[in-house]
Amino acid sequence: MTVVVQLLILILVLIGTSFSILGVLGLIRLPDVYARLHAAGKVGVFGAALLAAAVALSAPSTASKALILVALLVIAGPVVSHALASAANRLGIPVKHALRDDLAEARRQLSSAQPNPPPDSPC
Amino acid sequence: MEEILGAVFVIALVAHLLLLGVAAWRVLRGENAVDRLLSVELVSVLALCVVLLTTLITGQSIYVDVALGLAALSFIGTLALAKYLADQRMF
Repeated sequence: MTVVVQLLILILVLIGTSFSILGVLGLIRLPDVYARLHAAGKVGVFGAALLAAAVALSAPSTASKALILVALLVIAGPVVSHALASAANRLGIPVKHALRDDLAEARRQLSSAQPNPPPDSPC
Repeated sequence: MEEILGAVFVIALVAHLLLLGVAAWRVLRGENAVDRLLSVELVSVLALCVVLLTTLITGQSIYVDVALGLAALSFIGTLALAKYLADQRMF
């Protein structure tokens, strides 16, 4: 293992750990669910994926499995964040410090245009 | 260089274990159901980070398989629970 690869592994582990620390800090400090989703989504996509890239560099025999893990994390993280934000919106959890709510206004206009709205399609 | 790398791995492992404790505390003290489910997802991702750092420290590649299984199962579980929260039914 050359010094360049070791230095690259060091940089990847440090950046991944700092993303994890900042994500958990945002989970504690931010005001509502949507802002916390924004912070916690970074931990899966950047923190864990950069650590998996470091594993792929450190052991070339497991590089294929680690790269599959990177692809899985990068695809799954935004999907989970979107599902949780959609669940919070359907449960009616309000956005704190919001000046206006465009989605509620659009829904009101839609329901006034259609007196009998169709039931929600199962997503 | 090897010593620096080993020390950084151990420090990162300890940091991730502390963050795991903080996220588990948020599971107990969340303000609503979506908040707690988000914390559960974060706990599983941080456990994944701990497994990957264990791979880096011990050099045994069997832990990557554990990480793959954990990532896939926590993804499916969180999606199913988010749908259950939103629709009040699973299917």
